[in-house]
Amino acid sequence: MTRAGSKTRMKDSSSKETLLNAAVLHWMHDLAAQGIVTTDGELNVVEWNHWMEEHTGKRAADVIGKNLLDLFPELRERRLDRHYKWALEGQVSVLSQALHRYLVAMPAVSGVHDHNQMQQAVRISPLSNEGVVIGTLTIIEDVTERVSREAELQNQIEERSRLLSSEKLARNEAERANRLKDEFLATVSHELRNPLNAILGWAHMLRLGKLTEANAERAVETIYRNAKSQAQLVADLLDVSRIISGKLRLDVRTVDLVGIINAAIDSIRPAADAKSIRLQAMLDPAAGLISGDADRLQQIVWNLLTNAVKFTPKAGRIQVKLQRVDSHVEITVSDSGVGISKEFLPHVFDRFRQADASTTRIHGGLGLGLSIVHQLVDLHGGSVSVQSEGEGKGATFTITLPFVGVVNNPKEPESVPAGNFDEVTTFDGLPSLHGLKVLVVDDEADTRELISEVLKEVGSEVITCRSVEEALIALEQHKPDILISDLGMPDEDGYSLISKIRALPSEQGGHIPAAALTAYARAEDRMRVLRSGFQFHLPKPVDSAELVTVVASLAGRAYNSQS
Amino acid sequence: MKLTERQRDALSELINIAFARTGAALSELTGHRVVLNPPEVAVYQTAELRGALARFVPGDVASIHQVFGGPVAGDALLLLNYAGAVHLTDLLTDGHQPSAYLDESAREVLTEVGNILLNACLGMFGNLLNVHVTFSVPRLHLETLDEVIASTTTDKTEMHYALVIYTAFQIRDSSVKGFLVIVLSVASLDRLIQEVDAWEAQQGK
Repeated sequence: MTRAGSKTRMKDSSSKETLLNAAVLHWMHDLAAQGIVTTDGELNVVEWNHWMEEHTGKRAADVIGKNLLDLFPELRERRLDRHYKWALEGQVSVLSQALHRYLVAMPAVSGVHDHNQMQQAVRISPLSNEGVVIGTLTIIEDVTERVSREAELQNQIEERSRLLSSEKLARNEAERANRLKDEFLATVSHELRNPLNAILGWAHMLRLGKLTEANAERAVETIYRNAKSQAQLVADLLDVSRIISGKLRLDVRTVDLVGIINAAIDSIRPAADAKSIRLQAMLDPAAGLISGDADRLQQIVWNLLTNAVKFTPKAGRIQVKLQRVDSHVEITVSDSGVGISKEFLPHVFDRFRQADASTTRIHGGLGLGLSIVHQLVDLHGGSVSVQSEGEGKGATFTITLPFVGVVNNPKEPESVPAGNFDEVTTFDGLPSLHGLKVLVVDDEADTRELISEVLKEVGSEVITCRSVEEALIALEQHKPDILISDLGMPDEDGYSLISKIRALPSEQGGHIPAAALTAYARAEDRMRVLRSGFQFHLPKPVDSAELVTVVASLAGRAYNSQS
Repeated sequence: MKLTERQRDALSELINIAFARTGAALSELTGHRVVLNPPEVAVYQTAELRGALARFVPGDVASIHQVFGGPVAGDALLLLNYAGAVHLTDLLTDGHQPSAYLDESAREVLTEVGNILLNACLGMFGNLLNVHVTFSVPRLHLETLDEVIASTTTDKTEMHYALVIYTAFQIRDSSVKGFLVIVLSVASLDRLIQEVDAWEAQQGK
């Protein structure tokens, strides 16, 4: 290589370098997508690129040569000037958006974000030549959109984690409810099967016909008692279902609590006597009248008493008190029973909850009684509470009901509801239906026979039919006074029968008083029954006394199509 | 190379001055009182570095890395474990909800924190040695400890030492552990230790 050649190449490369440097400077000034500011060692502005001009509104010609800290006094106020001092000492500074927001205030470029001010990330570096700092370089990056997107993402994450945790809570709650229901279903099956065993067992023996007269009587008694107990379980379940769906309606009248409590005590007395439990009643006759549903109030007291008898050991004591306290009436039922643990106390009125849900538990029942009490008392605008000093120390349930100062219902106070469940129903005292012709329609022979027997017992003449077709013929032939019809029948149902009958003229039986008989006991079923033309709704299983009372009541008034 | 007890104490005292400066700067920036625990200093050969740190920073590491040059040259790193890095950013930026990851803004905050700390320490060394130290722009990396160690710029053929300084950021009733690692050549470390000895002798006067 010749010396001249080498020189030329050096010159070439040096001029290339100069050209490149110029190109880089041009790029930095005109094209860079960041703000680029250089200063000399005194912090006087040397370079102010196009991006800075565009975003600050300050032209390069107006800032070059001027001191950066004088141009932007805010830098001193915000103590950011020290980064320039450090830069002149050779240090690099990073200014994050999160801790500084911005270096030089500039309006944000419009876009999808919620900032008025441009959010910036900044680097401030020394510019050195041969180990000596001769100036500073500031690079400003617009991070507004990025910050906005990050915040949005963070919100989404927070929202998702909030949803997740609330979903987790709901799932736990659902699982807990499910567990309670499972326990409850196990209890229901157990409680329904127990009486069923007795019923099936004794019924089987009766069918064989080998029982002595005394044993047969015992068998019937046992079957009756167990069937009653099952009916009570089903009634409780239906009550709960009505309460849950808000379908339970109170038949509110002015009622006398003394009579209601006495009736409940009378009905529980045999059970208490069987365990030699002393039942004490301290009922203040002046406690007054309250507004309520007599049946439901008796159910409340009866449930509390049943509960007390169940959990009070032999030779124990149960006390019922009725008194007036200020503007309300208070009923307390205290017992000397097994008491309630502190842990279970808050759950006493929960549905499906029993202190001992194990299969080996001593006390039967569904654990619905107290929940029903709570709901019924609520419906009466009252409250129920429980106190217990702990296990083995008895329990006291207190019900408060609002006192009615003025009798707001002209109807006579109702004392004892008819058809008390636990009373052994006899036909004594029931109205005679002598001479009354009753048409009974049911596809089930057993039901037909049962109703027929009961009605014949009180003197009525009964015509039984298996279908709608038969019933219409019987109506024409026998001209009955009263119709009792099942609803669910094959081919044509009870609704069809009543609509056909109501379409007939009065002389052909179109206005015959009618009661529907059905196992569908929900409020909407009752409504449909009444709307379709029946005057009464008799839920299955039929209570004999109730049946006779209903028929007597129907006989007392004819159907009025205008009503 | 081992530090004597006196050298270690003197070095710790000097670094603590830089830490105090860092704590003050972070407190002012965030509006929360930030304190760095007094440093615990040790010297390792770079080959031993992995073993020394692995116990404290298992898994992914967030490192803020600055290269420095001049008469004394090397690599300065602030190492935090990933969860610690996320926690520290949350504490410094008032994150309402604990973050699960480091977004770009969080990485920038960490870079600034590392920058403040490394500048304070290296600046202090520069003053002590009376030399002008130049710095690269700090960079944040999320990688394994091996990758961090491999990324140091030092000449692998020459024997290097690492000054490992253990500390913890105390902020808003929380504590985030971290390591400051300064990798130096034998000559640079020798020079530093001489100056530390001289400074210590001067303090004793």
